Amino acid sequence: MARIELCNITKRFKKITAINDIKLEVKDKEFLVLFGPAGAGKTTILKTIAGLEYPDQGQIKFDGEVINHIEPTHRNVSMVFENYALYPHINVYDNIASPLRSPLYKKDEEYIKKKVNAIATVMKIDNLMERLPSQLSNGQRQRVALGRCLVREPKVFLMDEPLAHLDAKLRHLMRAELKEMQSQFNTTTIYVTHDYMEALSLGDRIAIVIQGRFEQIGTGDDIFYRPANELVAKLMGEPEINIFQTELVSDNGNFMLKMLCQERLFALPDDVAKILSAKKVNKFDLGIRGNDIKFYFEKPDASFLTGTIYTIEPIGNKSILTVDVNGQFLRMVAPSDLRAEMDSTIYIKLNLEHALFFNCDDQKFVTRHVSNII
Amino acid sequence: MANLTLKNVYKRYENSKSTKTKNDYAVKDLSFECVDGEFLGILGPSGCGKTTTLRMIAGLEEITQGEIYIDDTRINDLHPKDRHIGLAFEDYALYPPLSVYGNIAFNLRAKKVSEKEIKKEIMRIAPLMKVDDILDSKPAALSGGQKQRVNIARAIVRKPKLLLLDEPLSHLDGKMRQTLRVEIKRLHKEIQCATVIVTHDQLEAMSLADKILIMKDAELQQFGTPLEVYDDPVNEFVAGFIGEPPMNLMTVKITRSEGEFFFEFPGSEVRVSVPKRYYSVIKDGIRVKLGVRPMDVLIGNENSKANSAKIAVFENLGDERRINIRVGNEYLNLITFEEVRYKPGDYIKLEFNAEKTHLFDIGTGNRINAI
Repeated sequence: MARIELCNITKRFKKITAINDIKLEVKDKEFLVLFGPAGAGKTTILKTIAGLEYPDQGQIKFDGEVINHIEPTHRNVSMVFENYALYPHINVYDNIASPLRSPLYKKDEEYIKKKVNAIATVMKIDNLMERLPSQLSNGQRQRVALGRCLVREPKVFLMDEPLAHLDAKLRHLMRAELKEMQSQFNTTTIYVTHDYMEALSLGDRIAIVIQGRFEQIGTGDDIFYRPANELVAKLMGEPEINIFQTELVSDNGNFMLKMLCQERLFALPDDVAKILSAKKVNKFDLGIRGNDIKFYFEKPDASFLTGTIYTIEPIGNKSILTVDVNGQFLRMVAPSDLRAEMDSTIYIKLNLEHALFFNCDDQKFVTRHVSNII
Repeated sequence: MANLTLKNVYKRYENSKSTKTKNDYAVKDLSFECVDGEFLGILGPSGCGKTTTLRMIAGLEEITQGEIYIDDTRINDLHPKDRHIGLAFEDYALYPPLSVYGNIAFNLRAKKVSEKEIKKEIMRIAPLMKVDDILDSKPAALSGGQKQRVNIARAIVRKPKLLLLDEPLSHLDGKMRQTLRVEIKRLHKEIQCATVIVTHDQLEAMSLADKILIMKDAELQQFGTPLEVYDDPVNEFVAGFIGEPPMNLMTVKITRSEGEFFFEFPGSEVRVSVPKRYYSVIKDGIRVKLGVRPMDVLIGNENSKANSAKIAVFENLGDERRINIRVGNEYLNLITFEEVRYKPGDYIKLEFNAEKTHLFDIGTGNRINAI
């Protein structure tokens, strides 16, 4: 249990700056997710906290105390790695027990037995205790690695993509199991992932890491509904959010939106129109997610735009429909049982109450309609 | 442009060490047809015989028994080069010293096609595969996605009667895979060549193919459109293999109370009404395997006679929300696009979408059809 602070940490590998002057405070018992694309610097941040990398600048504090100079073994952190890193020659029981037998955290065998059995039950591996790692499936290995991490009561758990090596189906299951266990952790946890579902599901807060910097730190709702910029918006959700340029025009004093090469203008929610019209510019990027575009195959009324179907991809519980509207491709979500021919005509309508608006020049978030949910 | 027909095809490896008769065959009694212009997906877990099937069609493996036809020509004994088949494998196998142009032209040059003709063909194909701006590059300078584009361009430049793709997207990362998937689908629409893709990724098969052939342990399980295999799986294996997140598949006990049937989940209090259409094929006390996709588990009416279920996990994933109910050692998973919010420990009633609730025989795994 500890409060973790990163104060202006920079880490360079030769000429490459892996983490660049980052600041972060993880509250006691908080579950914080470091989320970002591959190579963003997430694992380097984790290793810096663990003491496996030494920062070039800045301070790392546990409960207000600077620990830069403290050896990894004495930081009292417990880490789980992407590739499990189990000891191949000892069985599951001994693997989980190993941290409690290390000279530093040595406990008596009776205590160890109680503790290992308790954690094995939670992880549902209590029937596998005698097996060697080579006799386990990937999912089981991953549980053992997690169990070994959780068996101690360190100041902080550090988890580096523990679910990344599992196949898609197992990953959904393990994510839910991890979430169910979360309330029992009772320890500050920092969790690295590149999977947006893991980030949204598990994190009390999410820190978005891109090119060694934090683009945004906030709750899942903050990041999904009010992303700091277009980059962040694109990281959350499948299919990727649609973003295209629009123009704000005054129509007899009413501010309306011109978009997608349409003749007609589109009405904006009042709060959005007010904020956009107060800006000095009249061009904005509009972001709209696949769920927020309605479509029909026969034109219901004049408010619908005409497009042609570029592709339809059934992906299990939904389909992704890509529609060409005057050269702009829009990805939208359709039910999994939709049948549609490529190149056929489709009529769509954007729900502008859910649209996000960004500056065209720096891609920063400007505003969105505020409803009772958000 | 052609039809492909397999008639009772078997493949048995002579030096097979396996003694079990069932596993003796790499492919067992496989028959199917791929009509002109169709996109066919062969899908299955590793070792199911799908690649062996593709290799027999291409002529890279002997056929132990059965016949393969392209149109009316039996091709069993035809040399691979005379089968007029375009092939693209998982690893790109481009010639490193040759440019992209040289790689695509290679087979045409080997066939002594005139340079003028070759150029015309490449200029036709290159824009389709979006390789027209890298024709002068060497393979080493290309990304994985670009290499696979070149690989596929090389396969189609010969105007094959049949295009065979073996896991063409497995080496690519997520985004690239998605992009290339769309392009392969568009390409197929352009060239309208009968195409067979082999993949272990159900998502790939579902999104690309007009028809999917699902194999397991050398045998055909189901052959149908993506929607058919998704909505009406013939057995428990297909039900569990297709779809992500996977279908809930659980052993349940049927009980009767006050004239209504219920699914009872062992090791839990959860009880859900059985859709009426199954009333004629079930009876009180039997056990069946229930199959219902997370999207077809619904938040039920408060007044239903079902028992309330306690939420173990609630996940808000932005686009959708997922609820997991503990049932013994497993979860019953529910997905909704509605803007609901729950906490662990909350109770909800459950209902299953009647048309999309499947029952399977516990012994055989085969679907139990409602009458």
